[in-house]
Amino acid sequence: MPRSSGPGAAIACRADFAVLCRRSHHTGDAALQRERELDRFLSDVEKRALRIAEISVRDRDEALDLVQEAMIKLVRRYAQRSAEEWPPLFYRILQNGVRDWHRRRFVRNRVIAWFGSATDDDVARDIDVIAAAADPAGRAPDQELETQQAMQSLEVALAHLPTRQREAFMLRTFEGLDVADTAKAMGCTAGSVKTHYSRAVHSLRETLGEHWQ
Amino acid sequence: MIDPDENKHAASDDPLAADAARRFDESVQRLDAATLSRLNRSRQAALTELAGRTAVRRWHRWIPAAAVATAAAFTVLMLNDPSVIDAIPSYDAAADFEVIMAGENLEMLEELEFYRWLYADAETEIAPAPDDHVG
Repeated sequence: MPRSSGPGAAIACRADFAVLCRRSHHTGDAALQRERELDRFLSDVEKRALRIAEISVRDRDEALDLVQEAMIKLVRRYAQRSAEEWPPLFYRILQNGVRDWHRRRFVRNRVIAWFGSATDDDVARDIDVIAAAADPAGRAPDQELETQQAMQSLEVALAHLPTRQREAFMLRTFEGLDVADTAKAMGCTAGSVKTHYSRAVHSLRETLGEHWQ
Repeated sequence: MIDPDENKHAASDDPLAADAARRFDESVQRLDAATLSRLNRSRQAALTELAGRTAVRRWHRWIPAAAVATAAAFTVLMLNDPSVIDAIPSYDAAADFEVIMAGENLEMLEELEFYRWLYADAETEIAPAPDDHVG
């Protein structure tokens, strides 16, 4: 509908401008709020995500890179999604990163094996599971050693599980995702998650034996 | 159909899973300061990306507002003083085109120094020399 000319048109233009300004101000606040929510989510999840990635790739530096990559991808692609959707999305990105990492490593190892130049350092890095770290809780050395050994046994047992079983166990047990979110993170059905998880627990019980009873 | 309650507690009900979760949490608590610092830097890097994208988006949002403001200001100006339109200098593209197409004018500009000398020389010839009045 054409607007009438004269002072009325000028007032209408000023009103439009005021509405646009107010809308911009509100969207700025919303963006700040979203940034705070993302910061909170990432700081909640980052340590456990690092350990989960570290158990999967058995290398802390590589795990740190994978977690950073997952954080950036989540922010780039899914920052506008609701906060409830972030955990499964974040772990899906992380698990995809871990799988890609294993694929690249598999290819690299084949190339190295082809040229026969595998070094002792490469093998040693694979075996070294837990980096030495100070205990902030200040526990006694023998207690600390027992805890580290127990965790190391668990990590070795997890490393021997099939990938999907390991993913299901870690997401359910370590991250505490429910079946539905684990299914979203793994890109499979809830039934598959239950099966993988059940088999993982069964295998771990057999591998760890009385140590964990 | 998934029972939400069953989902939430299934993992922690198993003694092995509960023990594994406890030991995992302990290992998370043992992360050293250097690792925590790197995690913090990673998080900040991710959030910086969000801030950058938001700033660009926020700047883009002002474009319509600025356009509306300019149009409003122009409208108000025209309504209050219609002579503003007459004051805007008209652009005569045809005149510029004629200047460009006139090759001799350009040649003259290229040899400006020569024409200046010629003009100065002609003035010198026209002006009476002081020696003419002698004798």
